[in-house]
Amino acid sequence: MEIRPIISALMRSKASMVLIGLQVALTLAIVCNALFIISKRFELMHRPSGMNETDTFWFGSNGFGQGYDARAVQQTDLALLRQLPGVVAATTTNSVPMSGGGWGEGLSLQPKQKKSTANTTVYIVDAQGVDTYGTHIISGRNFKPEEIASMKFGDRLTPPSIIVSKALADKMFPDGDALGKAVYLNEDPPTTTIVGIVDRLQEPWVENDDVENATLLPGYMPYGNSSRYLVRTEPGRRDEVMKQVEQKMSEANHSRIIGKLRTIEQVRAEAYAGDRAMMIILSAVIFCLLTITALGIVGMASFWVAQRTKQIGTRRALGATKYDILRYFLTENFLITSGGLLLGAVLTYAFSFWLMTHYQAKLLPWHYVPVGFLCLWALGQIAVLGPATRASRVSPAVATRSV
Amino acid sequence: MLKMSHLSKVYRTHMVETHALRDFSIHVRDGEFVAVTGPSGSGKTTFLNIAGLLEEFSGGEFWLDGVDVRGMGDDARSRLRNEKIGFIFQSFNLIPDLNIFDNVDVPLRYRRFNAADRKKRIDEALTRVGLASRMKHYPSELSGGQQQRVAIARALAGSPRLLMADEPTGNLDSLMARGVLELLEEINRQGTTIIMVTHDPELAARAQRNVHIIDGQVTDFDDEPKLRSPNLDDNTAAVAIA
Amino acid sequence: MFAYYLELGLRSLRRNPILTALMVVGIALGIAASMTTLTVMHLMGSDPIPWKSDKLHYVQLDNWSPDNPYNDDGSPPDQITYRDAVALMAAGKADKQAAMYKLALPIQPENPEVKPFQALGRVTYSDFFAMLEPPFQYGAPWDHGQDAQHARVVVLSKETNEKLFGGQNSVGKTVRMNSIDYSIVGVLAEWKLRSRYYDLTNGAFADPDEFFMPYTTAIDLKQRSTGNNSCWKNSGDGWDAYLDSDCIWQQMWVQLDSPARQEEYRSFLDNYVSEQKKLGRFPRPLNNRLLNVNEWMRDQHVVSRDVEVQTGLGFAFLIVCLVNTIGLLLAKFTRKSGEIGLRRALGASRRDVFTQFLIESGVVGISGGILGLLLTGLGLIAVRALYEQYKTVAHLDWSMVAMTIVLAIASAVLAGLYPTWRACRVQPAAQLKI
Repeated sequence: MEIRPIISALMRSKASMVLIGLQVALTLAIVCNALFIISKRFELMHRPSGMNETDTFWFGSNGFGQGYDARAVQQTDLALLRQLPGVVAATTTNSVPMSGGGWGEGLSLQPKQKKSTANTTVYIVDAQGVDTYGTHIISGRNFKPEEIASMKFGDRLTPPSIIVSKALADKMFPDGDALGKAVYLNEDPPTTTIVGIVDRLQEPWVENDDVENATLLPGYMPYGNSSRYLVRTEPGRRDEVMKQVEQKMSEANHSRIIGKLRTIEQVRAEAYAGDRAMMIILSAVIFCLLTITALGIVGMASFWVAQRTKQIGTRRALGATKYDILRYFLTENFLITSGGLLLGAVLTYAFSFWLMTHYQAKLLPWHYVPVGFLCLWALGQIAVLGPATRASRVSPAVATRSV
Repeated sequence: MLKMSHLSKVYRTHMVETHALRDFSIHVRDGEFVAVTGPSGSGKTTFLNIAGLLEEFSGGEFWLDGVDVRGMGDDARSRLRNEKIGFIFQSFNLIPDLNIFDNVDVPLRYRRFNAADRKKRIDEALTRVGLASRMKHYPSELSGGQQQRVAIARALAGSPRLLMADEPTGNLDSLMARGVLELLEEINRQGTTIIMVTHDPELAARAQRNVHIIDGQVTDFDDEPKLRSPNLDDNTAAVAIA
Repeated sequence: MFAYYLELGLRSLRRNPILTALMVVGIALGIAASMTTLTVMHLMGSDPIPWKSDKLHYVQLDNWSPDNPYNDDGSPPDQITYRDAVALMAAGKADKQAAMYKLALPIQPENPEVKPFQALGRVTYSDFFAMLEPPFQYGAPWDHGQDAQHARVVVLSKETNEKLFGGQNSVGKTVRMNSIDYSIVGVLAEWKLRSRYYDLTNGAFADPDEFFMPYTTAIDLKQRSTGNNSCWKNSGDGWDAYLDSDCIWQQMWVQLDSPARQEEYRSFLDNYVSEQKKLGRFPRPLNNRLLNVNEWMRDQHVVSRDVEVQTGLGFAFLIVCLVNTIGLLLAKFTRKSGEIGLRRALGASRRDVFTQFLIESGVVGISGGILGLLLTGLGLIAVRALYEQYKTVAHLDWSMVAMTIVLAIASAVLAGLYPTWRACRVQPAAQLKI
């Protein structure tokens, strides 16, 4: 309705208007970018690992002493684990998704290829590997017991067969005919054959771009005197099985140390602890920022109302209804907020560009800005509602008071 | 034009009840120029506030231009005020953030006139008070007399039937006061009813009729209107107290 | 006069308690957000060894594949090969030098009460202690002679010594690790490191090392690293082939006491790599790097990007809070223009008005600062809860406390400056009309 006179009145009290506008602008810039970071982290944290995470745990065994036969211990340990009630599957392995430490290799289509066709992590497992990880074979077959070779750490990996994740299969063979193909592990012969493809399995390194590239490789390979075991239990029996395993494993062999048993849920929590913390911190910043801005608007608007009591009374005397007065302040706030938001849109992208150049972030998608506009408009209107209502209650009789 | 019968106004705080007006009756006819006088605290301002629909009253009857005001809602009173009444305040009450044009525009906006109409009325009103050339100025750039003339233009722009003036010359020196008063007389001659509250007997003397308020009641009035206005016809000049 | 202004300020602040609270909380939140993040960033990135950080240098050589760079930006690998580490140690061209790697070993305590445990330690040369200067509680480091003799000696951390010997002087005693006895030559006192800057490859905020043993001894016993290991081609079978390979798993620090010595060492490295190129190694262009402690920490992003972004946001938030406070003070002081005009008419100079209102802003600032300090403490507790690994860096030290208060007062005075200046401009007469 009366936008022009509101603007000209605002232009007379520039400083306050500029300050609120600036505050809104900064708030928009920070909130949009922080929300974008939060949503990115949320996406990261909720990528599936391809594992059955709820029923699975893993642990290490570190032997010591002369004559410690790590290979023999592995066999007894596996036998012990597999006969425990509640255990569905168990395997030796070298790592699990999200753990942050593991074995990386390159897969090539040609011998002596200069650059590998794809990078992949290697999980060295036995015939129960696929089952223990809880991933699913979507084509091909599982490892046969005779494929599980005994290997020494430091020897070259020359497995006859491997099982790969679908993402890796598609990367190597975009036509979708990976099954049965021979590939080179690193650049040297002999070849190994892709005998199975699983739907999904992540690498241990969650920050990698090709995080979905994983290879299961048949074999037993202790690292010196150390071995690692992955165990999957029946649903709901994980914690009970873990207690048993801890006790039984220590009793079974006294010349070794059983490392801490960790559930895959713990592994996930640790892998994303930084992202989670970042999300919490950013959420707190957003919350405080919106609160401060809203309270700032309330404070300023209250002052404006107090300062203009006489003027409001005069307007009322000249025929303004309560609603006219309410609308005056709502419109005024809308205009100031809009001005701030326009500046804010520029700041938002300036901030986003800065994050992009310094932190390899992606450019903020455009839809954050209109959504931010709507939120801050709403915030402004809600914040100003109280003072504006108070203004509308100013009696028109104020106009005839001489002071 | 304005008729109050046995009107009362009580201000209540948790401790005291103050009767600002008691059994207050007055009748102002169309086209009259009435001066309301009385000492401080007599109820002048309360009368003005109620007559101008700025405040509600506690009891009695009040008819404004044939409309029963009793029990009227806030919005309806605002509308009535906007259409029928023009205000002139002692301290002018111009909005400092708005220029002269926008100040005069304020009541017209609430009247929901279209832009062309508003512009025409503002031009006319400002021309009438001799300030058409100062439209873009801000109140602080004008003298007190000029500010009050802007206030009068603002009051006239909506073509009100009744002009309420609250000590219109109270903040002006005598030269400026004379100018403002002459302007009011001129407006009255052209047919607008004026009720002026003042404590200045000299000023009151120039009105057609004086109403004296003491302690919330009308105590004294001139029965004979002074027929100074050549334009005023005899019918409307008659005065009665209900 | 100051007392009078202070009283006026306090009275004025008491008159609008909600507004005052809003301003104080605003400043406090802004201060807390910026100081919490700044403290973490400051301590993370702070110089761990200021008296010689410009002398200690981390050695990088680029032995990587001719076809693919190790890092996308072309910078050299973060570790070196065993054969280069040994060659550089043998050349001994630096003032002090130590190659090192990370090793996990089972410790079998003699005391049957203490269960065997897996300990993470460091395999290195005796110069490690001379260069990085960890404090000793008992004994001393092993010496160069013992390096050469492949001596079975060990230095324990204070914590390990407490676990094994109840904190008593264990120098001269032996400790059994992976069924081999090592004699203890020294025990460290508490070594407070904010970040484990000497091995950033395996995590700047990883747990401290539990033992230290001579490099030559560990290689004798064919102990592979438990830290990072990267290869760009197959290393061949067996231990000897591994030692001879282009796999990188060694870190190397050198101390170079003057810029001239640093230049010498740089050309020495260049010569070394050129010689090796003749042998068919180092297929990539010459790409050696010698960064000092602080440069290396920056390069490895010890201050994580998240922490930098958080600090940026913290300060942006402080700016919002300041803008908020400026607006509120401005509104407040504007409402007082009547009072200011009156004071001016009664003889207050512009300077008096300025002082009065600046003191009022100052009071808001100090209150905000004190509350902000408390909130910063809470913020750091929250950071410790959120980031397990930052417990060493999420602490207020005196310099940060002082900085918090200074920042708070500076913020409030800065915020009060413009409104105060506006207040001063009120003319004595202007407000006294009518």
